Amino acid sequence: MENNLDNHIKNVMSAVFEIPFEEINEDTSPDNVGSWDSLKHMNLVVALEEEYDIEFIEEEIVEMMNLSQIKSIVLEKLT
Amino acid sequence: MKELKYSEILRLNKEIGETLESKPYKISILSNIIVHQIKEILEYQLRTGGINANVVLGDYDNIVQDSLKYKESNAVLIFWELCNIIDGLQFKIDLFDDRQLNEIFEKTKSEIDLILKNLGKTSLVLLNVFTSLSFSTSARRKTKLEELADQLNQYLADNIPANVRLVELDKVIASIGVEDSFDYRYYYSSKALYTVNFFKSYAEYVKPFIMSVNGKAKKALIFDCDNTLWKGILGEDGYDNIEMSPRTKDGLIFAEIQSIALALNKQGILICLCSKNNPEDVDKVIKSHPDMQLRDKHITINKSNWSDKVSNLREIAQELNIGLDSFVVVDDSKFEVNLIRELLPEVTVLQVPERLYEYPKLLRENSGLFYNLSFTDEDHKKIEMYNQQAKRESSRNEFTDIENYLASLELNMTVYQDEDSIIPRMSQMSQKTNQFNLTTKRYTEGDIKNFIDDDSANVFAFSVADKFGDSGITGLCIIIFNDKNQTAVIDTFLMSCRIIGRNIEYAFIDYLVDILKSNKINEIQAKYIKTQKNGQVKTFYDKCSFRLTDSNESVRNYTLVVSEYKPRLVNYIEVLDGKQFG
Repeated sequence: MENNLDNHIKNVMSAVFEIPFEEINEDTSPDNVGSWDSLKHMNLVVALEEEYDIEFIEEEIVEMMNLSQIKSIVLEKLT
Repeated sequence: MKELKYSEILRLNKEIGETLESKPYKISILSNIIVHQIKEILEYQLRTGGINANVVLGDYDNIVQDSLKYKESNAVLIFWELCNIIDGLQFKIDLFDDRQLNEIFEKTKSEIDLILKNLGKTSLVLLNVFTSLSFSTSARRKTKLEELADQLNQYLADNIPANVRLVELDKVIASIGVEDSFDYRYYYSSKALYTVNFFKSYAEYVKPFIMSVNGKAKKALIFDCDNTLWKGILGEDGYDNIEMSPRTKDGLIFAEIQSIALALNKQGILICLCSKNNPEDVDKVIKSHPDMQLRDKHITINKSNWSDKVSNLREIAQELNIGLDSFVVVDDSKFEVNLIRELLPEVTVLQVPERLYEYPKLLRENSGLFYNLSFTDEDHKKIEMYNQQAKRESSRNEFTDIENYLASLELNMTVYQDEDSIIPRMSQMSQKTNQFNLTTKRYTEGDIKNFIDDDSANVFAFSVADKFGDSGITGLCIIIFNDKNQTAVIDTFLMSCRIIGRNIEYAFIDYLVDILKSNKINEIQAKYIKTQKNGQVKTFYDKCSFRLTDSNESVRNYTLVVSEYKPRLVNYIEVLDGKQFG
């Protein structure tokens, strides 16, 4: 489940930020992805919500600033 | 589109974008709220229709200035959100007095005027009507926000110029519901109001406008018969047992389908049949079944036979002289549907739904495919003309020599110059004509108006008549003068496929050269720009004694020294001046 989730989220991030899947790791964040601005962040949130049929609250949205945090917040919602 | 997730759209859009090679079609989006998610969604929607869309977003809340900055785009789309006309209007407005309300109305009105003026020469402007649905659906009394929206929309309806189309935003919102259209979470923090679901529906809704200006509207609707136009199988159930009468439950659905088809036919959409049946059985139903609404005069071509449907569809395309990509085919058989999709992928195929009550909805939802940006009188006449064409085809057999045949038709051509009253038709021809079209430039009504008003341009249009009937306005030619009016450039020359094959084109060029000569023009320049569909006119100018000056894969440039022109003198076509008839 976790491995699947990992790939799945990477896929979404790759589509949203237009970066190669292979370049995404636990530390991928706005600091090292040039296209990750506030508008693209909104796209990421919406894309993930649609993907997993969940809804994030504002506190979660501001925390989702790297792959590892995103994973743990999504996982929490799904379990 | 709705079934695709946003992240999939992002990915697919990028992929398809890399494969499209046609010239980019630039759409600029001006807005006073954040709508950035529409970019890829709209691009994808149009790219799947073969348009190499490139969407550019204007600055946040900068519609007026952006209307100058982006006026050169192929199309401009405006998201003007009522509740953000001033910050927090949705709650401030209820406390405003009449004077303040009036100020807002006047301010917005003058901005509308300014923006539409700035965009006066842009080919296509799509302007969303104002809506208050985001903040007024639960109110029992009409809110001030609703009243303001009504007033502004009335102003828009009364004042929009020919190049602007209003987008009925409320319909898009209704199609997915208010709850699913708005996401207030980002409204207060970032001024983003609409959901991704909304943008998906919106892109679907505006697609036909843009397809139409790119000459991609569908032209023919082709029906199978059994369980498609009526309930039952004619060859098995028999003439008396097929159902299409409003008196029975299933019959009612087919009666509705036939009515929708008839209504489209009235708008100039060609209706054809393509069905595996005994031809005489189907003929009998068309001629005499009391519940049949589609009769001979509505059906342009009837291919009821036992040949395969792919060959039949190819023949229909050939006989109508239009491309398979302008066909929409409706069939109930999964086999036939898949066969057509497989072998003729350019044809749009609709399968009759298993839940029959969804069938009328399916047809209505797809009627946008036929959307015509400018709907004109000519469309009403078109069906009649295709029928006349069929008559001509049969009398053609009596003549061995084609020139004798043409001479017997009593052809005449009426030419109109810079005629304001036919602007919609002229624009429509430029948008829809693909085969006999030398340069395939698409012009909106606004563009044509500009040419007419321009002293250094002439717009010619002509209609053709013969003893069987009048084709209506079916030819267009735009001339631009250069070099202190010494040289004329043929910017556009096109003719509807309905009048091809009668040497009309040569008679017109004779006429044109004569006119230009009397205007002291020494030289005429012309161009053939290759598209997928206009191969038949590649050497047209060669045949008119123009000299090929240079050419490559996609463009052929020609020059004619007027004094060296060799007229064709098509003596059996009489040329009349449209002015004489007012």
